[in-house]
Amino acid sequence: MSADPFLSDPFAAPRAIGGRAPDVMKAGGWLPMKQHDNNEEVDFVVIGTGAGGGPLIARLAEQGFSVIGFDAGAYFRPLEDFASDEIEQQKLYWLDERIIDGANPIRMGGKNSGKAVGGSTVHFAMVSLRFRPEWFKSHSLLGYGADWPLDWREMWDYYARAEKALSISGPVRYPWGPKRPRYPYRAHELNGAAEILARGAEAMGYQWTATPLATVSAPHGDSPPCVYRGFCRFGCSTNAKQSQLVTFIPRGIAAGAEIRDLAMVGRIETGPDGRATGVHYHREGRWRFQKARNVIVAGYAIETPRLLLASANDRYPDGLANSSGLVGKNLMTQSNQAVFGVMDKEVRWNKGPPSLSITEHWNYEDRKDFHGGYCWMAQGPLPVEWATIVAGSRKRWGAPLREEMMRYNHQVGLKMVGEMLPDERNRVTLTDEVDQYGLRIPRITYSWGDNDKALIQHALGEMERSLDLVGAKDIFRQEDDTNHLAGTARMGSDARSSVVNADCRSWDIPNLWICDGSIFPTMGGVNPSLTITAISLRTADRIKALAKRGEL
Amino acid sequence: MKNDRPTGDIATALSLVTGATILGGIVLACRKPHVPVKKPQATVAAARRLNRAAGTLAASVLIDSAIEHYRGNFHNKAMITPLVTASLSLAASLHGTADSKGEAHVIRDLIYAGAGLTGLVGTGFHIFNISKKPGGLSWQNLFYSAPLGAPAAISLSGMLGFLSERLRDSHPDMPPKILGIPAGRVIGVMTSLGLMGTVAESGLLHFRGAYHNPAMYLPVTMPPVAAALLGASALGPIRRHGRLTRWWLRATALLGFAGTGFHAVGVARGMGGWRNWRQNLVDGPPIPAPPSFTGLAMAGLAALALLEDHPDD
Ligand SMILES: Cc1cc2nc3c(=O)[nH]c(=O)nc-3n(C[C@H](O)[C@H](O)[C@H](O)COP(=O)(O)OP(=O)(O)OC[C@H]3O[C@@H](n4cnc5c(N)ncnc54)[C@H](O)[C@@H]3O)c2cc1C
Ligand code: SF4
Repeated sequence: MSADPFLSDPFAAPRAIGGRAPDVMKAGGWLPMKQHDNNEEVDFVVIGTGAGGGPLIARLAEQGFSVIGFDAGAYFRPLEDFASDEIEQQKLYWLDERIIDGANPIRMGGKNSGKAVGGSTVHFAMVSLRFRPEWFKSHSLLGYGADWPLDWREMWDYYARAEKALSISGPVRYPWGPKRPRYPYRAHELNGAAEILARGAEAMGYQWTATPLATVSAPHGDSPPCVYRGFCRFGCSTNAKQSQLVTFIPRGIAAGAEIRDLAMVGRIETGPDGRATGVHYHREGRWRFQKARNVIVAGYAIETPRLLLASANDRYPDGLANSSGLVGKNLMTQSNQAVFGVMDKEVRWNKGPPSLSITEHWNYEDRKDFHGGYCWMAQGPLPVEWATIVAGSRKRWGAPLREEMMRYNHQVGLKMVGEMLPDERNRVTLTDEVDQYGLRIPRITYSWGDNDKALIQHALGEMERSLDLVGAKDIFRQEDDTNHLAGTARMGSDARSSVVNADCRSWDIPNLWICDGSIFPTMGGVNPSLTITAISLRTADRIKALAKRGEL
Repeated sequence: MKNDRPTGDIATALSLVTGATILGGIVLACRKPHVPVKKPQATVAAARRLNRAAGTLAASVLIDSAIEHYRGNFHNKAMITPLVTASLSLAASLHGTADSKGEAHVIRDLIYAGAGLTGLVGTGFHIFNISKKPGGLSWQNLFYSAPLGAPAAISLSGMLGFLSERLRDSHPDMPPKILGIPAGRVIGVMTSLGLMGTVAESGLLHFRGAYHNPAMYLPVTMPPVAAALLGASALGPIRRHGRLTRWWLRATALLGFAGTGFHAVGVARGMGGWRNWRQNLVDGPPIPAPPSFTGLAMAGLAALALLEDHPDD
């Protein structure tokens, strides 16, 4: 526990204050942190400290800019604040009220949004994959979705940098896609569940591999190697996980960035010239205003459009950066359906990170009658999560539920991460209800398209076949799950059909940037965070280049 | 990691090995011993040094496999084998180190031959084990499945011990020979190969650890030079690099001990450090493994001494 009893509750008061911030690597430790006055016009304000915000905060500070990173969430100390308890750890999730509708409403919370310094990466599953190169031009090369204004070769380079910065542990040879440099750390040992995926894939004649993960397989700095207890999605209490909280955020602070935790940004202000002038934020019980020369929004696919829409004013009545009318539109999630079964022998699927092996076969195989791709990974839900799945998707209750739970150690599963297509009808809008800060609550509307449904059915069939081939019994399909989010402020090559350009700079307001999962024009069939981080690193470089040319 | 191989076949194989060893032992025991005469002291001294080398290797294997197989929960009964063989090899080596008699000892011979064979069979099993895993002979399986190097080390210990017995048993009036080849050369070549094998093993495991600490490059750079120097001496003229070889082997022997220190530091880097020794000792870098370099370097020094005492070129 922290030496200072006042600080034992991360929600009681901000921790990054008084010239210091928590040193997450040392129990009770502190890092010196530079602080700025509200009236001081800082070079950059970054809203959100996750996969998109974190790298920008660090890189911009390292380039000598004055930077403040705001996050509505708490500044956790993993060594002290994280319990091995699925329920307690819900404190990492964004559970503020939201309204969901559409034919397939997205269940919001733990599965898709974090609220913490470090963002969703504090409880993400660490799967760190690269896009298939063609996806950056899915419209022109594959005939669906939209093209990105980025070149895959340049992205390949930034992926490598992201992998290095996050010390990704990956296989010596990755079976799909163009050559990539060796992962900084070697892949982790497969657990029982991962081996079953591998056997199934081999039986189907598909390639498989150990999954590249953002948790170290050998010591790195103050991070000990992973201890395979499998609490990753509930916060890693060893700091083996390379979340933003233990990587870019401390780097940023060391380079002079300031972090403001428990600081909810409610509105971006613009001046008479139409440029952003700073942000209104709520911290320590009252609203404050921070002046800034540039504002970067990185609150993820719901909170980013919500903030842009909520910042509407006389000059921008439809919200900021919204001349295209696309802010909030083209929300995408990923299909996350699963097939589960029971093995005769013990598997102990919860040991280790949940997705230790993967097959991307259907991301790279185009002989199929739907658009988009998907991969599937080994699974290892912890007991409460598993009970929820069995009760919810399988409708087991009472004695049958208990019986199912008794087989926990023999259970196996495969879970997909599938590409859903962009559709303007899937969107984030504002309701008139307000939340605890008095801010308008977002409405999240989502319906699966026919292509989405075809892809899901294909994947369920394939995963079921794979489990069948390894002798799993009592197989059942979990048909209703989705996970990662993207879209709602897409990047593109012209102002009419996109919100930001390739540099994540908004077309409408030159000193307003958006750099997080919301800039994705298409979702791809892999988990998004490495792509977000790579783009964030690229944006930092672009800002440097633009600043040099006096074009900021 | 689980494995579901039936133990039946292992039991069969083990009894075959044991049978072969016992038979071999009986043959050795029945042979007419050389007339016990005073052996040149140097030969016996070299033999005892080899015993010491074999013992060091055996001790390294014993502790290492005890920890590793405890980690694997002894889920397969055959996992007790290296503990038994390594203990026996260690005991035989202690006995041999203390024994200044110039003749082979039947029980030691038996044990050493057994260890040599068991190690070979163990390597076979470990290869078989890997081949059954999804991915087959892949990096992933080489990293995490049953290691090939561990049983090979017990085999080396046995072979070194066995050669030490052959030294004691050599003709008193002639330079010691094994299979008609000067003993120093045989032992030198074998040790050099053993060193290279051990380098390969530590190279593989340090690659698995992503060489996260620069010191992890030491065991893949220093011992190969020792192996090359020793190999050159064993195969060619010995006098040229004698001094350099000796010093390099000595440094390699020290490196083995230093490695233990480095690994202890590595254990401290696990979650909870040494306070959490029950977990980190098992999951961290193997503390008893590096001294196998020491054992082999000692054998190399013995070989070098033989080569210099009985120059044949
Ligand atoms: C359970 C789970 C598992 C996942 N597993 C994986 C995986 O294995 N691999 C992978 O690639 N991806 C995974 N993801 C997805 C990945 O975490 C996200 O895609 C990624 O973190 C999004 O980055 P971001 O920067 O857009 O947003 P986030 O990382 O979510 O960061 C946004 C931050 O902004 C803050 N914020 C938002 N609005 C405001 C505001 N107005 N004021 C102040 N702060 C604000 C939030 O508190 C939050 O901390 C997972 C996600 C979850 C939830
Ligand atoms: S399994 Fe590894 S990454 Fe996951 S919580 Fe445990 S130590 Fe952290």
